Amino acid sequence: MKNQKIKISTKNLNVFYGAKQALFDVNLELEEKKVTALIGPSGCGKSTYIRCLNRMNDVIDICKVEGSIKIDGQEINKKDVDVNLLREKVGMVFQKPNPFPKSIYDNIAYGPRIHGLADNKNDLDQIVESSLKKAALWDEVKDRLNQPGTGLSGGQQQRLCIARTISINPEVILMDEPCSALDPIATAKIEELIDDLKKTYTIVIVTHSMSQAARVSQNTGFFHLGKILEFNLTEKIFKNPDNKLTQDYITGRFG
Amino acid sequence: MSEHIVSSYEGQLKTLHSTVLKMGALCESQFSNSIIALLKKDEELIDKIIGKDERIDELEKKIDDQVVNLITLRQPMAIDLRETVSAMRIAAELERIGDLAKNIVKRVKYIKVDLNNPDFSLIKTASELVQNNLKKTLDSYSKKDEQLALSVWNSDKEIDVIINKLLEDFLNNMKKEKKNIESLTHLLFVAKNIERIGDHSTNICEYVYFLIKGEEIKGNRPKG
Repeated sequence: MKNQKIKISTKNLNVFYGAKQALFDVNLELEEKKVTALIGPSGCGKSTYIRCLNRMNDVIDICKVEGSIKIDGQEINKKDVDVNLLREKVGMVFQKPNPFPKSIYDNIAYGPRIHGLADNKNDLDQIVESSLKKAALWDEVKDRLNQPGTGLSGGQQQRLCIARTISINPEVILMDEPCSALDPIATAKIEELIDDLKKTYTIVIVTHSMSQAARVSQNTGFFHLGKILEFNLTEKIFKNPDNKLTQDYITGRFG
Repeated sequence: MSEHIVSSYEGQLKTLHSTVLKMGALCESQFSNSIIALLKKDEELIDKIIGKDERIDELEKKIDDQVVNLITLRQPMAIDLRETVSAMRIAAELERIGDLAKNIVKRVKYIKVDLNNPDFSLIKTASELVQNNLKKTLDSYSKKDEQLALSVWNSDKEIDVIINKLLEDFLNNMKKEKKNIESLTHLLFVAKNIERIGDHSTNICEYVYFLIKGEEIKGNRPKG
């Protein structure tokens, strides 16, 4: 893991929902242009963690985030950071595909429009096409760009959401269980896409599927009760983890 | 180690482990019986040993099936994956041990020399050492004792030393007694088979160590 550029680092990250503490001193360094998988039982804090990385927890009134979160060495966990710019840099894909109730074209064009990334219709067409191509969806939708995004299949909708994320040129893509609502073929397409996207983007994926974490990631972190118990190369975690709880969890002995 | 949440999965892994142990016990008795048959020239026992070899092959097949099933249906991880993969590798080594024991008894009818002759006494010594190592090897698998596996792995060199000495004794005897050449040629193969069984035993020790520790034994095996 040495000699690799660190894209995101968190130090002594503590998160509270009201009186309840959800994360305890999480120290992690996530490598650039790699896929990091976060695993752990429900409620262990992995989603809370990735939501810190683009300040999604800001929208929850009772949520308090303490500690340092740096992206490219810049602190993002402080008041004067423009969260809109941050979210332009750190995109997110959710468990359930959530396309806008708009056409396929407008789903992609929305972000570039509001962020002023296109000067004219031609530019915008280009962005829509290249985003859909990168998300491996172009061939399936190019003849029906004006139809509603919600009319696509679940797997296509999820790739549409990924295309939407890519359209504003982020550097980091956060994925919170992106395949849990998809069938195996749609899942395979997303995993193939993740392999391809990691050439350009830093990806952090939360997943409940151990085999998916093993397949798509290079590094894996195991969360338990709000703490990071083990962080290592994915191969090491799934072949011979150091921590007994990690082993119990990945082999289905937790209980 | 705590148990799996899914008890049928736990059950399948336990069944696999016990099938390997069953195969191990059978190979162990095939080998020790082959030495008894050799020393006593017991033809009934020889037939029994040859007949039982089929059972060893069946058990190996059964283990392979169980392993493929586990990988297909359970996708084992970490310790479970090592348990699964090791079972298949150990079964392959045991199958070879079974074959070598069968090969020993097939040679008995060509061995006409008196095995009480001190020139040939090391065959008994070597077989006792190897039997002892094989027993300890299977114990290390049964009890998941990596230190025991490591000690067997390290002790195989003693067998190599004895086999080399035995070769010398045999050659000297052949020089003295030309009529013994045919018998001793077969007896040499028997000795080589015993040594090979010891080698397969140390291979199993390597798998047992890997199964428990998740890493290979460091360094090269000491050789005599």
